Amino acid sequence: MRSPVPGGLVFPGNGEMAARMRAYPWSETSVGDPATWPAGLATATRICLTSRFPMIVWWGEELSFLYNDAYLPLLGTNHPALAKPGREVWSEIWHIIGPMLRSVMETGEATWSEDLLLPLVRHGYLEETYWTYSYSPLHDDDGVVRGVFTAVSDTTERVLGERRLAVLRDLGALAGSARTVDEACRLVAEALGRAGADVPFAAVHLRRPGTDDLVLASATTDDPDARAREWPLREVLTTDRLQVVEGFGPLPGGSWDAPPTQAVVLPLRGEIGGQNIGVVVLAASAGRMLDEAYHSFLSLVAQQTAALVNAAVAYQVQQRRAEELAELDRAKTTFFSNISHEFRTPLALILGPTEELRAGLADADPRLREELEVIHRNGLRLGKLVNTLLDFSRIEAGRMRASYEPVDLAVHTAELAGVFRSAIEKAGLAFEVDCPPLPAPVQVDRGMWEKVVFNLLSNALKFTFDGGVRVRLRADGDHAVVEVSDTGIGVPASEMPRLFERFHRIESGRSRSNEGSGIGLALVRELVLLHGGEITADSAEGRGTTFTIRVPFGVAHLPAEHLAPAGSTTAPSGANPFLQEALRWLPAEPDQQAPPAAAPPTGGPARVLIADDNADMREYLERLLRPFYEVTAVPDGEDALASARTAPPDLIVSDVMMPRLDGLQLVAALRADPRTAGVPVLLLSARAGQEASIEGLEAGADDYLVKPFAAAELLARVRANVELARLRNHHARWRTALIESLQEGFFVCAEDGSVIEVNGAFGRMLGYGPEGLPYHQPAPWWPAEADAREHIARMLDRTLTEAGGTYTTPVTTRDGRRLWLATSFNHVRDPDTKHTVIVGTVRDVTAEHFAVQRETAVGAVSVRLAGAANLTEALAGAAEELRDVWHARRVLTAVWGDSDVPTLTSTDPAITWATLPPSIRDTLTALRESPLLIPVGDAGIALDHPEGRVALWLDLSEHRPFAQEDRTLLALLGGHLGQGLHRIHQVDQQRKTALALQHAILGPFHLPTGFAVRYEPAARPLEVGGDWYDTVALADGRIGIVVGDCVGHGLDAAAVMGQLRSACRALLLQDNGPARTLMALDVFAATLSGARCTTVFCGVLNPDTGELVYSSAGHPPGILSLPDGARELLEDGRSLPLAVRVGAHRPEATRVVPPRATILLYTDGLVERRRRSLVTGIDQAAQAVTEGSGVPVDDLATDLMSSLAPPGGYEDDVALLLYRHPAPLEMSFTAAAAHLAPVRHALRDWLTRCDLPDPQAQAVLVAAGEACSNAVEHGHRDTPGRTVTLSALVTVDDLRVTVVDTGSWKPPTGTDDDHRGRGLLLMRELMDDVSVVTEPTGTTVDLHTRISPR
Amino acid sequence: MTTPLRFTSTETAEGTPVLKVSGEIDMSNSDDFNHELRGALAHRTTETPLLVDLTAVDYLDSAALAVLFEHVASITVDTNKMLEPILRICGLSDIVPVRVIR
Repeated sequence: MRSPVPGGLVFPGNGEMAARMRAYPWSETSVGDPATWPAGLATATRICLTSRFPMIVWWGEELSFLYNDAYLPLLGTNHPALAKPGREVWSEIWHIIGPMLRSVMETGEATWSEDLLLPLVRHGYLEETYWTYSYSPLHDDDGVVRGVFTAVSDTTERVLGERRLAVLRDLGALAGSARTVDEACRLVAEALGRAGADVPFAAVHLRRPGTDDLVLASATTDDPDARAREWPLREVLTTDRLQVVEGFGPLPGGSWDAPPTQAVVLPLRGEIGGQNIGVVVLAASAGRMLDEAYHSFLSLVAQQTAALVNAAVAYQVQQRRAEELAELDRAKTTFFSNISHEFRTPLALILGPTEELRAGLADADPRLREELEVIHRNGLRLGKLVNTLLDFSRIEAGRMRASYEPVDLAVHTAELAGVFRSAIEKAGLAFEVDCPPLPAPVQVDRGMWEKVVFNLLSNALKFTFDGGVRVRLRADGDHAVVEVSDTGIGVPASEMPRLFERFHRIESGRSRSNEGSGIGLALVRELVLLHGGEITADSAEGRGTTFTIRVPFGVAHLPAEHLAPAGSTTAPSGANPFLQEALRWLPAEPDQQAPPAAAPPTGGPARVLIADDNADMREYLERLLRPFYEVTAVPDGEDALASARTAPPDLIVSDVMMPRLDGLQLVAALRADPRTAGVPVLLLSARAGQEASIEGLEAGADDYLVKPFAAAELLARVRANVELARLRNHHARWRTALIESLQEGFFVCAEDGSVIEVNGAFGRMLGYGPEGLPYHQPAPWWPAEADAREHIARMLDRTLTEAGGTYTTPVTTRDGRRLWLATSFNHVRDPDTKHTVIVGTVRDVTAEHFAVQRETAVGAVSVRLAGAANLTEALAGAAEELRDVWHARRVLTAVWGDSDVPTLTSTDPAITWATLPPSIRDTLTALRESPLLIPVGDAGIALDHPEGRVALWLDLSEHRPFAQEDRTLLALLGGHLGQGLHRIHQVDQQRKTALALQHAILGPFHLPTGFAVRYEPAARPLEVGGDWYDTVALADGRIGIVVGDCVGHGLDAAAVMGQLRSACRALLLQDNGPARTLMALDVFAATLSGARCTTVFCGVLNPDTGELVYSSAGHPPGILSLPDGARELLEDGRSLPLAVRVGAHRPEATRVVPPRATILLYTDGLVERRRRSLVTGIDQAAQAVTEGSGVPVDDLATDLMSSLAPPGGYEDDVALLLYRHPAPLEMSFTAAAAHLAPVRHALRDWLTRCDLPDPQAQAVLVAAGEACSNAVEHGHRDTPGRTVTLSALVTVDDLRVTVVDTGSWKPPTGTDDDHRGRGLLLMRELMDDVSVVTEPTGTTVDLHTRISPR
Repeated sequence: MTTPLRFTSTETAEGTPVLKVSGEIDMSNSDDFNHELRGALAHRTTETPLLVDLTAVDYLDSAALAVLFEHVASITVDTNKMLEPILRICGLSDIVPVRVIR
């Protein structure tokens, strides 16, 4: 049926097109008189003219063209085209749109064209714009399709947003792939080369290190003209400000025809605190205005570029540093082990034979002997130097084996000084030793102390020519103070700071010798430090030098495991090299070179051990033998046995009758021990007779002499036995010399596994030397841990049963350190005893073991870093790994950002910065200032952190040495950690960027009041997705609500989402109900790749009544939380996901949202978890909504997103929409009494919607009325016409009204204000809580009441 | 614009003068209310207190209360259940006979 329609109703409004249409002679066209138009055409035209969006109506066979004002810019010069046939209007694209229009006309089904690129002059330049056209059928009154309705939406922002996001992701994906700066620049240029639509031209210029010169590193084009273009590079670099440049020569246009006219030159920022690293030139496409969004995109490109280059720089630096450290470490280790091996072995082989030669050539030509002495002395000197270097390497590696015993320092120091007396006096110098007894013993390592004193004395002698040398010892409080002073040449003031520096020699001075390595004083200092002491020097040039050593009394400053009882060690007689060297500096004296008188003709001073309990006899024997032999005398067999085991002599002369262990028992014991089995024994006995001698000889003695004996007889027998033994032991001696010269530990095991022989290296390595032999199994070096002991026991078993092999085991040294030893062993038959023994060597492979441990630790830290979601987690995880590597008590990290109080992380969570002991705080604060990545102090390191500096400190158990390999490892791990933190920071930044862009696609968005929305991309891998939310303000005040979820992730899904969202929005705007909207969306989704199976919840809400009409396309049910705590699911109106069955009817449901109820709509990412039923997830979410029904919806949205998130973040992206009925009330009114009533009425309506009990509603109304009256009367008495705002917010059990005005209240004073005072009283009585805050800018009254349950 | 307010002067069967008020009273029309009340009091023929009938008032605030307090010596008040708490809270009920008409 047709009905006449008045022209004003068909063509409403004042727009240009409305005017044109009203004036148009319609009756002369095929469209006909508007009065005769079918209702469909009239309605479509009306919608078209009143819409802000571009719209077209095509009508009739010719598709006559009707359009609105919003469409004018798109039509351009084709306007005016009213009522022209469509084919004529859009002739240039008719081949595309013609068939589409035809298909709508023929099939009656809607269709779309998506994101059409339309170069358009809208803002004075040819612009790249994108538009989506929808084509829906228009019916006449008989239901025949007669025309097409087209809504056009501008999708430019979305298309550009997606495209730019893709560019940034492309750049972001390069993170970590560049190993060099060049590579990073090349990759950036390649990535931007693919982004010609947004960055038609890009050039990266890098600063030449140390200068402000810039060099072109890469560009997106090879065109030499474009590459050579001039830019204000240097200015941008130094001012650190970007510049927009116009008017440059031609550049490539990218995908746009016109070349760029604008370019942005941006600084590339260095790492935090660093200089700019370069400048990037980014041309802007001529097709887009360089607006704020474009600017921020280009800035992000520059940031990404800088990040990539910085990462490459950091990688290179890190790589180099790690290589240098490893190389240094390796070189040092090699050097020192070479010294020991390469020097000591030949030295031993020089000194041994030289000793023999000196003895053997006693009668030779004096010149020959003189030269031998030279060899001998220099051998000793070289030995001393090598030993000093070895001491250093041990101190460095923390392996110096000190043994501190309580020593009478006065006596000991005086004795040591005494050794030098003759030399000093021979030099014509006075020598004063002033060492009165001290009140207490001092803990010193005798060997080290000897080196300290000898070094200082030899130093004094070397540089003193007149006057004297003085050694002085005093107690000073808690310290013993030793001064060694001389009156020598002194040290120039300029050299004083370097006096104790290793290998530093003071060149200018006169000295007794030019020899010297510059290492003695450095060693002295290290040794004093090991004693917990300190050494200082005081010197005046020409007057002399005083060295002062202060060593604490007591034991508190020394590691407990290195303490030894008094007298438990013997001082090594290391004086000889020092003295020999010093004496050589002095004028020679003839008698010094005299050969020893009557040396035995057959060899060097053979060592003879005398054992006799009779002191007279002992002394007599000593007197007899002393001129020819090196003699040791002991009072019994036990002592003799111990002495022989430590250092087997050439001959033992023993009495038979002795206490403790007699001569025969001694012989038996000696023969039973492989080390002493070959030592000849001459027994002396008072018992005469054949039997006695046979008994002695049977026991294994080599000779037998009956007392009394003639001195000549004894000497002859001794000489014969020594000769014989020397011949017999020639090989054995060489064997011993060789074994002793071995750097590797050497051992011999008996068949039962007891260790019966070891060499010196074995003793030095383990602290268990020859003196403690034999070592029965389990040997004392077995570790305490059960598993390690089991391992060693198994290896011992192998050693005893297999013919040979190798294995590695941990051991514990005497001073408690852990070593890893590689052992190789072989079974051999002892030709003397015919027993099988096991001979083996051990090598210290602790360093190799550490290297493996280092690799493992680096791997473990890397794994922790890779798994960390944020900086805090990364730091905490790495700290735990470091703790495990070093078995530290705890590991602390402190991050200094902007604040002076750092953020503390500890593996021990109870600790905070405030509760930390001040000394540890000081340690961390000092670390912060120390150079980056260089381990300092006991075990700390400073690292770069994206938010500032981080100090990392290992709290090691007491006396755990922190050796060089520990430092290297800490530096290495610190480097990895620093890089890892930056990488995580970068990922985090990228995530923020991605989120910002996703929000850009979802927005711009004006949320109606009462709503809250959230979107969160999947956490790992970081990915935006296809979830969306939307609210659409409909013409009649209702609100369309949409939450949807496209299948899949990433940009593709986001793009599909964008289109569905736009379509759904357009459909709702056309006043389709939810079911019809979804049905139309089915049709659209079927044509859109990737849109199938999208789930959508679509609803239309009447905010006045709370009536919600909705339909769900396979979407998870909405949750309705009611004010009484009950919950229900919006499960009606459900049907299949989009495009599964196109054309099928969709149901619709209605639910009135009761006052103060809350609705939650969401996508499945919020509730779906692996291995958990969806129902459980929905229940959990529903419960969270109910629990949060008392907080404002926006806070509730934040709470839900965080409380429902799984520990590692959401696995899928999440969109969420909340609404609470009724929406908050917001009103503004001019401060005048006349406006009070309308405001009150609006508030009353709103309170009704809140469903408050009547008395309470009245109370709120009166209290709010009083607040408004006050605002009118007091706030604006003097300045009428200002604005007052009233806002009201309700939650499930709480109601709040706020009245804000811009005036200031005066407190009630006179009678005038009596009733105002009453007003305040009323407010306070009627509400639960009233606050009035008056500030210079205005007064805020806050009224608050709990809603009483019905 | 002032808030609408209507007044009717009557008498009860017992001859008590009555001022019946209907509408809303706030600061925009409290002067009118005062004016009417003074008039009604002036026109009294007896010393019988004036019955101010507020049962048809939907809203009153402290401006209206100020007017009532001015005349406490010569009025009684009828009110509805909704306004009763306000009259009680401000203390009017303590010094003026107030009846709540249900």
